[in-house]
Amino acid sequence: MATLAEVASAAPVGTASAQRRIITARIVSYALLAVAVILVLFPIYWMIITSLKLPREIYRVPALWPQTFTLANFDKLLADGSFLLAIRNSAIVATTVTVISVIISSFAAYSMVRFRYRFRGVFGRLILFAYLTPGSLLFIPLSIVMAQLRLGNSLQGLILVYLTFSLPLSTWLLQGYFRGVPRELEEQGMIDGLTRFGALIRITLPLSAPGLAAVAIFTFTGAWNELLFALVLTTSESVRTAPLALNYLITSDVLPWGPLMAGAVISSVPLMILYFVAQRFMVAGMAEGAVKG
Amino acid sequence: MSVAADTIPAKPRRRLPGNVRIKAFAYLLVAPAILLICGLVAYPFLFAIWVSFTDMVVGSVGNFVGFKNFEYLAGTATFYSAIWNTIVIVLVSDVLKLGIGLGLALLVHQNLPGRGIFRSFLMLPWAMPAFVAFLTWRVLYQPIGGGINLILTQTGLYPEVIDFLGSRSTAMGSVIVASVWRGFPFWFISILAALQSVPKELYEAAIVDGASTWQRFWNVTIPSLMPVIIVTTLLSSIWTANGFEHVWLLTAGGPSDATMVFPVLAYYGMQTQRIGEAAAVSVYMLPVLGVLVIFATSLMMRREE
Repeated sequence: MATLAEVASAAPVGTASAQRRIITARIVSYALLAVAVILVLFPIYWMIITSLKLPREIYRVPALWPQTFTLANFDKLLADGSFLLAIRNSAIVATTVTVISVIISSFAAYSMVRFRYRFRGVFGRLILFAYLTPGSLLFIPLSIVMAQLRLGNSLQGLILVYLTFSLPLSTWLLQGYFRGVPRELEEQGMIDGLTRFGALIRITLPLSAPGLAAVAIFTFTGAWNELLFALVLTTSESVRTAPLALNYLITSDVLPWGPLMAGAVISSVPLMILYFVAQRFMVAGMAEGAVKG
Repeated sequence: MSVAADTIPAKPRRRLPGNVRIKAFAYLLVAPAILLICGLVAYPFLFAIWVSFTDMVVGSVGNFVGFKNFEYLAGTATFYSAIWNTIVIVLVSDVLKLGIGLGLALLVHQNLPGRGIFRSFLMLPWAMPAFVAFLTWRVLYQPIGGGINLILTQTGLYPEVIDFLGSRSTAMGSVIVASVWRGFPFWFISILAALQSVPKELYEAAIVDGASTWQRFWNVTIPSLMPVIIVTTLLSSIWTANGFEHVWLLTAGGPSDATMVFPVLAYYGMQTQRIGEAAAVSVYMLPVLGVLVIFATSLMMRREE
């Protein structure tokens, strides 16, 4: 299947057998892609219909299509307000991390791209190392450090900790984007009276808007998805994030598949909207530097 | 580099010499990021290594105990399960993700009408939150209420209900399938981007030289993709070996350690409040992880230049 395109393009055009081969190659390609898309979509489909089924349908008469559609699972999930609180916490944490991270990392990336100084190489390496240092190595010491700072079990603590993965990634990606902004434009701006900082804010950042968008989305997504740090750092229900709320749903004794999938659907909505709005930037950013996931 | 500074019209104010000011400005801009990374990554990293050599429990500072935690772990069966399972998950899922990612990238790379739509759909698992993806797979695998058993029994492919996550023989495979589902888009899009940047002249030259389709695939396409494949493999291995969600949300390491991996083991250590031992679990991974990280860092720095 690797070479269907090449077979098609290499075949002499016009002959009947070549035509047939091209058509066969197309049919096979579409068939394979269709199978892949079905396999990709089936779990998403199952999530959605499970969230819309009555409990008796989920457990007793399983079927690909619900007999009755119901919002009962959503009602049950949202009834006591704790899941909405978790969504709100997630939104606060993810938004704050994104804003802080984009500002700090764009300054750092700009400094490392535009200026030459002694420790630049060391900083570059440090950032890349930090990017590749997995959270599973850091969650133990960070939980101790956060407790010492009295930031354990708080949204502020989570925000600070999420900078560990967002800052290195953002700085790394933004360096690539800033390199693409011609230095001459900034110099022109400075001749026209801008300070260097003004040139960064008024010229470089606007010209890197797609990069900033990609970085902001990755940061938001990373913070929205994070489970391990949240699990270790928070203990009380008032500071639970969405992944944590759902995690505790499966450790309870009752079979919670309906409400669980309702929560899954609700948690996906913000990211799916982001994905469809900004797919272009995300794909470009993902191809640019690698993205955790 | 300091050319720009010289072009700024001198203002009649008392100032430091231009290049000093510029350097100060450069350090000022980079300082917050570097300080935060030192405080939140470098220091905790070193602290974790120290903790792994102590008998720290929650609420105590802990005393230095040498290699005691490491020796203790090396004497437990769970530890060996974690080593073996981590290796299996990384190797098998990397190979599957590479195969699926490469195959789909080659298919989408053709000039097919509608390829953009296929690309969007194939990226969906990556756009979903990881915890949502794995919780959904948990439901899919259920004996009661799960979609996979429903399809297997109703189509007659397999008559009996399988407890995918609950039995030792299927748990690991199930975890791998779910993490491949969630992880392949990253490979797919990286390889697709690399394919699109292979110079057309290379193929034309190969055709002129009379290379067959397979020869072109092996001698032009694959070598051009190699740098991307190597970096992707390294990154994916680092993240898969340290992934927590996929195992935690599907099986929590069970049944009876059949899917136990390092991060989950470390988390259990934290839960039982034996911090020294938990840290030792993570630190055990360091030698292998360190090699992968150093290798990936140098490749990524080189690609950047």
